[in-house]
Amino acid sequence: MVIPTPFQSQIYRSLPEIERADAIVDRITTAIRLGLLKVGERLPPEAALSEMFGVGGATLREALAELREQGVVETRRGRSGGTFVVTQPRPQTDSIREWFLSTSISEIRDIGDEQAAVAAAIIRLACERAEAHDVERLQELARALVLATSPEGRALADSRFHIELAVSAQSPRLANAEIRLQEETVQQLWTPIAAALDPEPATAEHLELVRAVAQDQPAKAGNLVLEHIRRNIYHLIDTKLTLGYARSNQDAP
Amino acid sequence: MNPDREVVQAAHALTLWFRGVSVEINHLSRNVASLLESSLAGRSTVNKGALVGLEELAHEFLTRNASAIGAGMFFATDSIDEGGRPREWWTREPDGALKRLDFDSTPGSRRYYDYEKLPFFSAAASTGEQTLWGPYVDYLGFEDYILTVSAPFWVRGRFMGVVGCDIRLRDLEPLIMPTLRLIHDNAALINASNRVILGNSGMYLVGERVRSESAHQHRLALDVPHLGLSLIYTTTT
Repeated sequence: MVIPTPFQSQIYRSLPEIERADAIVDRITTAIRLGLLKVGERLPPEAALSEMFGVGGATLREALAELREQGVVETRRGRSGGTFVVTQPRPQTDSIREWFLSTSISEIRDIGDEQAAVAAAIIRLACERAEAHDVERLQELARALVLATSPEGRALADSRFHIELAVSAQSPRLANAEIRLQEETVQQLWTPIAAALDPEPATAEHLELVRAVAQDQPAKAGNLVLEHIRRNIYHLIDTKLTLGYARSNQDAP
Repeated sequence: MNPDREVVQAAHALTLWFRGVSVEINHLSRNVASLLESSLAGRSTVNKGALVGLEELAHEFLTRNASAIGAGMFFATDSIDEGGRPREWWTREPDGALKRLDFDSTPGSRRYYDYEKLPFFSAAASTGEQTLWGPYVDYLGFEDYILTVSAPFWVRGRFMGVVGCDIRLRDLEPLIMPTLRLIHDNAALINASNRVILGNSGMYLVGERVRSESAHQHRLALDVPHLGLSLIYTTTT
Protein backbone atom coordinates (compact mmCIF):
# COMPACT_ATOMS: atom_id res chain seq x y z
CA MET A 1 0.00 0.00 0.00
CA VAL A 2 1.22 3.49 -0.75
CA ILE A 3 1.01 5.67 2.31
CA PRO A 4 0.99 9.38 1.52
CA THR A 5 3.72 11.14 3.49
CA PRO A 6 3.12 14.56 5.05
CA PHE A 7 5.09 15.99 2.16
CA GLN A 8 2.66 14.47 -0.33
CA SER A 9 -0.47 15.43 1.56
CA GLN A 10 0.89 18.97 1.56
CA ILE A 11 1.10 18.87 -2.24
CA TYR A 12 -2.28 17.33 -2.81
CA ARG A 13 -4.30 19.31 -0.30
CA SER A 14 -7.45 20.77 -1.78
CA LEU A 15 -7.20 24.31 -3.03
CA PRO A 16 -9.42 26.96 -1.51
CA GLU A 17 -11.33 28.91 -4.20
CA ILE A 18 -9.50 32.13 -3.34
CA GLU A 19 -6.10 30.52 -3.98
CA ARG A 20 -7.28 29.33 -7.36
CA ALA A 21 -8.28 32.86 -8.41
CA ASP A 22 -4.91 34.16 -7.18
CA ALA A 23 -3.15 31.40 -9.08
CA ILE A 24 -4.89 32.47 -12.31
CA VAL A 25 -3.87 36.10 -11.73
CA ASP A 26 -0.27 34.94 -11.15
CA ARG A 27 -0.21 32.76 -14.25
CA ILE A 28 -1.48 35.50 -16.50
CA THR A 29 0.72 38.29 -15.14
CA THR A 30 3.80 36.05 -15.31
CA ALA A 31 2.92 35.06 -18.88
CA ILE A 32 2.70 38.74 -19.84
CA ARG A 33 6.02 39.53 -18.14
CA LEU A 34 7.71 36.69 -19.98
CA GLY A 35 6.21 37.83 -23.26
CA LEU A 36 4.15 34.67 -23.70
CA LEU A 37 1.09 36.96 -23.85
CA LYS A 38 1.52 40.28 -25.61
CA VAL A 39 -0.08 43.66 -25.03
CA GLY A 40 -3.08 43.89 -27.38
CA GLU A 41 -3.64 40.14 -27.36
CA ARG A 42 -7.15 38.84 -26.68
CA LEU A 43 -7.57 36.14 -24.02
CA PRO A 44 -9.76 33.15 -24.93
CA PRO A 45 -13.50 33.52 -24.09
CA GLU A 46 -14.52 33.12 -20.44
CA ALA A 47 -16.12 29.71 -20.94
CA ALA A 48 -12.96 28.36 -22.57
CA LEU A 49 -10.76 29.89 -19.86
CA SER A 50 -12.72 28.35 -17.00
CA GLU A 51 -12.63 24.98 -18.71
CA MET A 52 -8.86 25.18 -19.33
CA PHE A 53 -8.07 26.34 -15.80
CA GLY A 54 -10.57 23.82 -14.43
CA VAL A 55 -12.37 26.40 -12.29
CA GLY A 56 -15.96 27.57 -11.98
CA GLY A 57 -17.22 30.72 -13.69
CA ALA A 58 -17.30 32.67 -10.42
CA THR A 59 -13.63 31.96 -9.66
CA LEU A 60 -12.59 32.94 -13.18
CA ARG A 61 -14.60 36.19 -13.04
CA GLU A 62 -12.97 36.97 -9.70
CA ALA A 63 -9.52 36.51 -11.26
CA LEU A 64 -10.39 38.67 -14.28
CA ALA A 65 -11.80 41.38 -12.00
CA GLU A 66 -8.49 41.44 -10.11
CA LEU A 67 -6.53 41.69 -13.37
CA ARG A 68 -8.81 44.57 -14.48
CA GLU A 69 -8.28 46.25 -11.13
CA GLN A 70 -4.48 46.01 -11.64
CA GLY A 71 -5.02 47.57 -15.07
CA VAL A 72 -3.41 44.61 -16.80
CA VAL A 73 -6.44 43.59 -18.86
CA GLU A 74 -9.55 45.36 -20.11
CA THR A 75 -12.88 43.84 -21.05
CA ARG A 76 -14.65 45.32 -24.07
CA ARG A 77 -18.28 44.66 -25.00
CA GLY A 78 -19.67 44.13 -28.44
CA ARG A 79 -18.91 42.02 -31.51
CA SER A 80 -15.16 42.51 -31.46
CA GLY A 81 -15.23 42.46 -27.65
CA GLY A 82 -13.45 40.21 -25.17
CA THR A 83 -10.71 40.52 -22.58
CA PHE A 84 -7.51 42.12 -23.86
CA VAL A 85 -4.04 42.52 -22.40
CA VAL A 86 -3.57 46.30 -22.18
CA THR A 87 -0.37 46.81 -20.25
CA GLN A 88 2.71 45.19 -18.74
CA PRO A 89 2.13 44.36 -15.06
CA ARG A 90 4.03 46.65 -12.69
CA PRO A 91 7.28 45.24 -11.33
CA GLN A 92 6.49 43.66 -8.01
CA THR A 93 9.37 44.79 -5.84
CA ASP A 94 7.53 43.71 -2.71
CA SER A 95 6.90 40.20 -3.90
CA ILE A 96 10.48 39.92 -5.18
CA ARG A 97 11.83 41.03 -1.80
CA GLU A 98 9.49 38.56 -0.12
CA TRP A 99 10.83 35.77 -2.37
CA PHE A 100 14.40 36.51 -1.32
CA LEU A 101 13.50 36.60 2.35
CA SER A 102 11.45 33.40 2.29
CA THR A 103 13.68 31.27 0.02
CA SER A 104 16.65 29.65 1.75
CA ILE A 105 20.11 29.34 0.23
CA SER A 106 19.72 25.57 0.04
CA GLU A 107 16.55 26.08 -2.01
CA ILE A 108 18.25 28.60 -4.33
CA ARG A 109 21.13 26.16 -4.84
CA ASP A 110 18.58 23.44 -5.61
CA ILE A 111 16.84 25.62 -8.22
CA GLY A 112 20.27 26.05 -9.83
CA ASP A 113 20.79 22.27 -9.79
CA GLU A 114 17.53 21.75 -11.67
CA GLN A 115 18.28 24.58 -14.11
CA ALA A 116 21.68 23.01 -14.78
CA ALA A 117 20.14 19.60 -15.47
CA VAL A 118 17.53 20.98 -17.85
CA ALA A 119 19.96 23.36 -19.56
CA ALA A 120 22.57 20.63 -20.08
CA ALA A 121 20.04 18.46 -21.91
CA ILE A 122 18.71 21.39 -23.95
CA ILE A 123 22.13 22.55 -25.10
CA ARG A 124 23.22 19.05 -26.13
CA LEU A 125 20.07 18.60 -28.23
CA ALA A 126 20.31 22.13 -29.63
CA CYS A 127 23.82 21.33 -30.91
CA GLU A 128 22.44 18.28 -32.70
CA ARG A 129 19.19 19.73 -33.94
CA ALA A 130 19.38 23.49 -34.42
CA GLU A 131 19.63 24.77 -37.99
CA ALA A 132 20.90 28.00 -39.49
CA HIS A 133 17.71 29.99 -39.00
CA ASP A 134 17.53 28.92 -35.33
CA VAL A 135 21.05 30.21 -34.86
CA GLU A 136 20.22 33.57 -36.43
CA ARG A 137 17.15 33.90 -34.28
CA LEU A 138 19.08 33.04 -31.12
CA GLN A 139 21.73 35.64 -31.96
CA GLU A 140 19.04 38.25 -32.32
CA LEU A 141 17.44 37.23 -29.00
CA ALA A 142 20.84 37.29 -27.29
CA ARG A 143 21.45 40.88 -28.44
CA ALA A 144 17.99 41.93 -27.21
CA LEU A 145 19.26 41.49 -23.65
CA VAL A 146 21.91 44.20 -23.85
CA LEU A 147 19.51 46.48 -25.73
CA ALA A 148 16.80 46.24 -23.06
CA THR A 149 16.46 49.40 -21.01
CA SER A 150 14.69 48.23 -17.83
CA PRO A 151 15.06 45.33 -15.39
CA GLU A 152 11.71 43.96 -16.61
CA GLY A 153 12.90 44.21 -20.22
CA ARG A 154 16.10 42.34 -19.35
CA ALA A 155 14.15 39.64 -17.54
CA LEU A 156 11.94 39.26 -20.58
CA ALA A 157 14.85 39.10 -23.04
CA ASP A 158 16.85 36.70 -20.87
CA SER A 159 14.01 34.25 -20.33
CA ARG A 160 13.02 34.46 -23.99
CA PHE A 161 16.54 33.50 -25.05
CA HIS A 162 16.61 30.43 -22.80
CA ILE A 163 13.10 29.32 -23.77
CA GLU A 164 13.88 29.64 -27.49
CA LEU A 165 17.08 27.68 -27.01
CA ALA A 166 14.83 24.85 -25.77
CA VAL A 167 12.58 25.44 -28.77
CA SER A 168 15.58 24.97 -31.08
CA ALA A 169 16.24 21.68 -29.29
CA GLN A 170 12.86 20.47 -30.64
CA SER A 171 11.60 19.31 -27.25
CA PRO A 172 8.23 20.61 -26.03
CA ARG A 173 8.80 18.98 -22.63
CA LEU A 174 12.17 20.63 -22.14
CA ALA A 175 10.74 23.93 -23.37
CA ASN A 176 7.96 23.65 -20.77
CA ALA A 177 10.49 22.83 -18.05
CA GLU A 178 12.55 25.87 -19.11
CA ILE A 179 9.45 28.12 -19.05
CA ARG A 180 8.64 26.96 -15.52
CA LEU A 181 12.22 27.53 -14.33
CA GLN A 182 12.41 30.96 -15.96
CA GLU A 183 9.11 32.00 -14.37
CA GLU A 184 10.49 31.01 -11.02
CA THR A 185 13.64 33.18 -10.95
CA VAL A 186 14.16 35.53 -13.91
CA GLN A 187 12.53 38.58 -12.26
CA GLN A 188 14.64 37.99 -9.15
CA LEU A 189 17.79 37.73 -11.27
CA TRP A 190 17.41 41.12 -12.94
CA THR A 191 15.90 43.14 -10.13
CA PRO A 192 18.22 45.92 -8.98
CA ILE A 193 16.91 45.45 -5.42
CA ALA A 194 20.43 44.85 -4.02
CA ALA A 195 23.10 44.98 -6.76
CA ALA A 196 22.06 45.00 -10.42
CA LEU A 197 23.34 42.24 -12.68
CA ASP A 198 25.38 43.53 -15.63
CA PRO A 199 23.66 42.59 -18.93
CA GLU A 200 26.88 42.84 -20.97
CA PRO A 201 28.70 39.72 -19.74
CA ALA A 202 25.38 37.84 -19.76
CA THR A 203 24.84 38.82 -23.40
CA ALA A 204 28.42 37.85 -24.27
CA GLU A 205 27.81 34.44 -22.66
CA HIS A 206 24.57 33.98 -24.60
CA LEU A 207 26.34 34.82 -27.88
CA GLU A 208 29.18 32.45 -27.08
CA LEU A 209 26.61 29.73 -26.39
CA VAL A 210 24.97 30.36 -29.77
CA ARG A 211 28.40 30.10 -31.47
CA ALA A 212 29.05 26.76 -29.78
CA VAL A 213 25.60 25.53 -30.93
CA ALA A 214 26.26 26.78 -34.48
CA GLN A 215 29.60 24.95 -34.57
CA ASP A 216 28.07 21.82 -33.00
CA GLN A 217 30.44 21.75 -30.02
CA PRO A 218 28.31 20.10 -27.33
CA ALA A 219 31.10 19.75 -24.72
CA LYS A 220 32.06 23.40 -24.96
CA ALA A 221 28.40 24.53 -25.01
CA GLY A 222 27.66 22.35 -21.99
CA ASN A 223 30.47 23.89 -19.96
CA LEU A 224 29.45 27.40 -20.98
CA VAL A 225 25.83 26.94 -19.97
CA LEU A 226 26.76 25.44 -16.58
CA GLU A 227 29.12 28.34 -15.89
CA HIS A 228 26.39 30.80 -16.94
CA ILE A 229 23.90 29.22 -14.52
CA ARG A 230 26.44 29.07 -11.71
CA ARG A 231 27.08 32.79 -12.07
CA ASN A 232 23.35 33.53 -11.99
CA ILE A 233 22.85 31.40 -8.89
CA TYR A 234 25.76 33.16 -7.15
CA HIS A 235 24.12 36.46 -7.96
CA LEU A 236 20.80 35.29 -6.45
CA ILE A 237 22.61 34.05 -3.32
CA ASP A 238 24.52 37.33 -3.00
CA THR A 239 21.24 39.22 -3.23
CA LYS A 240 19.73 36.91 -0.62
CA LEU A 241 22.71 37.47 1.71
CA THR A 242 22.54 41.24 1.26
CA LEU A 243 18.78 41.43 1.89
CA GLY A 244 18.54 38.77 4.56
CA TYR A 245 21.85 38.88 6.41
CA ALA A 246 23.43 42.30 6.24
CA ARG A 247 26.80 42.13 7.96
CA SER A 248 27.00 43.73 11.35
CA ASN A 249 28.66 42.86 14.60
CA GLN A 250 25.52 42.86 16.65
CA ASP A 251 23.57 40.05 15.07
CA ALA A 252 25.31 36.98 16.44
CA PRO A 253 22.88 34.54 18.12
CA MET B 1 48.77 31.06 11.39
CA ASN B 2 46.34 31.92 14.13
CA PRO B 3 42.73 32.38 13.14
CA ASP B 4 41.36 35.89 13.27
CA ARG B 5 39.37 37.03 16.22
CA GLU B 6 36.16 36.96 14.12
CA VAL B 7 36.76 33.31 13.18
CA VAL B 8 37.34 32.32 16.80
CA GLN B 9 34.25 34.24 17.84
CA ALA B 10 32.11 32.54 15.18
CA ALA B 11 33.51 29.09 16.00
CA HIS B 12 32.71 29.68 19.65
CA ALA B 13 29.11 30.72 18.92
CA LEU B 14 28.57 27.70 16.62
CA THR B 15 30.10 25.35 19.21
CA LEU B 16 27.73 26.63 21.87
CA TRP B 17 24.72 26.27 19.60
CA PHE B 18 25.47 22.67 18.59
CA ARG B 19 26.45 21.71 22.14
CA GLY B 20 22.99 22.89 23.12
CA VAL B 21 21.41 20.48 20.63
CA SER B 22 23.76 17.72 21.76
CA VAL B 23 22.85 18.16 25.43
CA GLU B 24 19.14 18.10 24.58
CA ILE B 25 19.48 14.87 22.59
CA ASN B 26 21.42 13.19 25.41
CA HIS B 27 18.70 14.29 27.77
CA LEU B 28 16.01 12.78 25.51
CA SER B 29 18.01 9.56 25.21
CA ARG B 30 18.29 9.22 29.02
CA ASN B 31 14.60 10.01 29.52
CA VAL B 32 13.51 7.44 26.95
CA ALA B 33 15.79 4.80 28.46
CA SER B 34 14.53 5.33 32.00
CA LEU B 35 10.88 5.39 30.89
CA LEU B 36 11.34 2.08 29.03
CA GLU B 37 13.24 0.58 31.89
CA SER B 38 10.24 0.97 34.14
CA SER B 39 7.54 0.21 31.53
CA LEU B 40 9.28 -2.95 30.28
CA ALA B 41 9.61 -4.26 33.82
CA GLY B 42 12.27 -6.80 32.91
CA ARG B 43 10.98 -7.80 29.45
CA SER B 44 13.50 -7.33 26.65
CA THR B 45 11.18 -6.38 23.77
CA VAL B 46 8.87 -3.42 23.36
CA ASN B 47 5.15 -4.01 22.91
CA LYS B 48 2.48 -1.39 22.30
CA GLY B 49 1.87 -0.83 25.99
CA ALA B 50 5.50 0.01 26.63
CA LEU B 51 5.27 2.93 24.23
CA VAL B 52 3.00 4.90 26.56
CA GLY B 53 4.68 8.11 27.66
CA LEU B 54 7.14 8.36 24.74
CA GLU B 55 4.88 10.81 22.92
CA GLU B 56 5.01 13.13 25.90
CA LEU B 57 8.81 13.03 25.92
CA ALA B 58 8.99 13.85 22.21
CA HIS B 59 6.46 16.66 22.62
CA GLU B 60 8.40 18.07 25.53
CA PHE B 61 11.56 17.97 23.40
CA LEU B 62 9.90 19.76 20.48
CA THR B 63 8.44 22.39 22.79
CA ARG B 64 11.86 23.13 24.28
CA ASN B 65 13.69 23.05 20.95
CA ALA B 66 11.96 25.35 18.49
CA SER B 67 14.62 24.81 15.81
CA ALA B 68 13.78 21.09 15.45
CA ILE B 69 11.02 20.17 13.00
CA GLY B 70 10.71 16.58 14.22
CA ALA B 71 11.83 14.31 17.04
CA GLY B 72 11.29 10.82 18.33
CA MET B 73 12.77 7.38 18.43
CA PHE B 74 13.44 4.38 16.17
CA PHE B 75 13.72 0.90 17.69
CA ALA B 76 16.11 -1.83 16.60
CA THR B 77 14.04 -4.52 14.85
CA ASP B 78 15.02 -7.20 17.35
CA SER B 79 13.87 -5.08 20.26
CA ILE B 80 10.22 -4.82 19.21
CA ASP B 81 7.41 -7.29 19.76
CA GLU B 82 5.07 -8.50 17.06
CA GLY B 83 2.55 -5.65 16.71
CA GLY B 84 4.82 -3.09 18.35
CA ARG B 85 5.62 0.02 16.33
CA PRO B 86 9.24 0.26 15.10
CA ARG B 87 9.31 4.05 15.29
CA GLU B 88 7.67 6.86 17.19
CA TRP B 89 8.25 10.19 15.47
CA TRP B 90 6.47 13.52 15.75
CA THR B 91 6.76 16.55 13.51
CA ARG B 92 5.78 20.16 13.80
CA GLU B 93 3.02 21.17 11.41
CA PRO B 94 3.07 24.64 9.76
CA ASP B 95 0.47 25.80 12.33
CA GLY B 96 2.67 24.61 15.21
CA ALA B 97 0.60 21.50 16.05
CA LEU B 98 2.57 18.29 16.64
CA LYS B 99 1.64 15.32 14.52
CA ARG B 100 2.73 11.69 14.43
CA LEU B 101 4.67 10.91 11.25
CA ASP B 102 3.75 7.65 9.54
CA PHE B 103 6.39 5.63 7.77
CA ASP B 104 5.94 2.60 5.61
CA SER B 105 7.55 -0.22 7.56
CA THR B 106 6.61 -3.15 5.33
CA PRO B 107 9.85 -4.59 3.95
CA GLY B 108 9.65 -4.94 0.18
CA SER B 109 6.95 -2.32 -0.29
CA ARG B 110 7.66 0.55 -2.65
CA ARG B 111 7.89 3.16 0.05
CA TYR B 112 9.60 1.04 2.69
CA TYR B 113 11.69 3.26 4.97
CA ASP B 114 14.63 1.04 5.88
CA TYR B 115 15.85 3.24 8.70
CA GLU B 116 18.23 0.66 10.17
CA LYS B 117 20.42 1.11 7.10
CA LEU B 118 20.37 4.90 7.28
CA PRO B 119 23.43 6.54 8.87
CA PHE B 120 21.50 8.41 11.58
CA PHE B 121 20.54 4.96 12.93
CA SER B 122 23.43 2.72 11.89
CA ALA B 123 26.20 5.13 12.95
CA ALA B 124 24.66 5.70 16.37
CA ALA B 125 24.13 1.93 16.74
CA SER B 126 27.66 0.92 15.72
CA THR B 127 29.60 3.62 17.57
CA GLY B 128 27.37 3.83 20.62
CA GLU B 129 27.77 7.61 20.43
CA GLN B 130 25.80 10.60 19.34
CA THR B 131 26.00 11.37 15.64
CA LEU B 132 25.09 14.07 13.15
CA TRP B 133 23.95 13.10 9.67
CA GLY B 134 23.23 15.49 6.86
CA PRO B 135 22.53 17.64 5.01
CA TYR B 136 20.52 14.88 3.29
CA VAL B 137 17.26 14.51 1.38
CA ASP B 138 15.18 12.34 3.70
CA TYR B 139 13.38 10.42 0.98
CA LEU B 140 10.40 8.42 2.33
CA GLY B 141 10.95 9.80 5.82
CA PHE B 142 10.23 13.44 6.48
CA GLU B 143 10.94 14.15 2.79
CA ASP B 144 12.76 17.40 3.24
CA TYR B 145 16.36 18.58 3.16
CA ILE B 146 17.49 18.09 6.74
CA LEU B 147 20.14 17.39 9.37
CA THR B 148 19.49 14.65 11.92
CA VAL B 149 21.18 14.53 15.31
CA SER B 150 20.72 11.13 16.93
CA ALA B 151 21.91 9.14 19.94
CA PRO B 152 21.58 5.47 20.93
CA PHE B 153 19.74 4.32 24.04
CA TRP B 154 20.09 1.15 26.08
CA VAL B 155 17.92 -0.60 28.62
CA ARG B 156 19.83 -2.73 31.13
CA GLY B 157 22.88 -2.71 28.87
CA ARG B 158 20.95 -3.82 25.81
CA PHE B 159 20.89 -1.58 22.71
CA MET B 160 17.25 -0.75 21.99
CA GLY B 161 17.34 1.94 19.30
CA VAL B 162 18.10 5.62 18.72
CA VAL B 163 16.46 8.90 19.60
CA GLY B 164 16.93 11.90 17.39
CA CYS B 165 15.72 15.17 16.00
CA ASP B 166 15.49 16.65 12.52
CA ILE B 167 16.45 20.22 11.69
CA ARG B 168 15.52 21.58 8.27
CA LEU B 169 18.34 23.36 6.44
CA ARG B 170 15.96 26.22 5.72
CA ASP B 171 15.30 26.64 9.45
CA LEU B 172 18.97 26.34 10.38
CA GLU B 173 20.09 29.02 7.92
CA PRO B 174 18.62 32.07 9.72
CA LEU B 175 19.88 30.69 13.06
CA ILE B 176 23.55 30.32 12.16
CA MET B 177 24.06 32.57 9.13
CA PRO B 178 24.45 35.73 11.24
CA THR B 179 27.33 33.98 13.03
CA LEU B 180 28.98 32.87 9.78
CA ARG B 181 28.58 36.39 8.41
CA LEU B 182 30.78 37.67 11.23
CA ILE B 183 33.63 36.20 9.20
CA HIS B 184 34.61 38.41 6.28
CA ASP B 185 36.51 35.70 4.39
CA ASN B 186 34.67 32.86 2.68
CA ALA B 187 33.75 30.43 5.43
CA ALA B 188 31.54 27.41 5.99
CA LEU B 189 30.39 25.00 8.62
CA ILE B 190 31.10 21.45 7.39
CA ASN B 191 30.30 17.97 8.68
CA ALA B 192 32.57 14.98 9.25
CA SER B 193 32.44 14.02 5.55
CA ASN B 194 33.52 17.51 4.42
CA ARG B 195 30.02 18.38 3.27
CA VAL B 196 28.95 21.98 3.61
CA ILE B 197 26.12 22.54 6.11
CA LEU B 198 26.08 26.28 5.48
CA GLY B 199 28.48 28.75 3.91
CA ASN B 200 28.60 32.53 4.23
CA SER B 201 28.90 33.17 0.47
CA GLY B 202 28.42 31.51 -2.91
CA MET B 203 31.86 29.88 -2.60
CA TYR B 204 30.73 27.18 -0.19
CA LEU B 205 27.21 26.03 -1.02
CA VAL B 206 25.14 23.86 1.28
CA GLY B 207 25.33 20.19 0.28
CA GLU B 208 28.55 20.51 -1.74
CA ARG B 209 31.67 18.62 -0.69
CA VAL B 210 34.84 20.53 0.01
CA ARG B 211 37.59 18.74 -1.86
CA SER B 212 40.58 20.97 -2.34
CA GLU B 213 42.80 21.59 0.63
CA SER B 214 44.62 24.66 -0.61
CA ALA B 215 47.19 26.54 1.42
CA HIS B 216 44.65 29.33 1.85
CA GLN B 217 41.98 27.05 3.25
CA HIS B 218 42.03 26.61 7.02
CA ARG B 219 40.08 24.34 9.29
CA LEU B 220 39.01 24.70 12.88
CA ALA B 221 37.38 21.67 14.51
CA LEU B 222 34.43 22.57 16.73
CA ASP B 223 34.57 21.16 20.23
CA VAL B 224 31.24 19.36 20.15
CA PRO B 225 31.78 15.68 21.02
CA HIS B 226 31.14 13.12 18.24
CA LEU B 227 29.33 15.44 15.82
CA GLY B 228 32.38 15.90 13.56
CA LEU B 229 31.77 19.59 12.88
CA SER B 230 34.44 21.95 11.58
CA LEU B 231 34.61 25.53 10.45
CA ILE B 232 36.61 26.15 7.29
CA TYR B 233 37.62 29.53 5.95
CA THR B 234 39.81 30.82 3.18
CA THR B 235 42.24 33.65 3.52
CA THR B 236 43.54 35.60 0.58
CA THR B 237 47.00 36.23 1.99
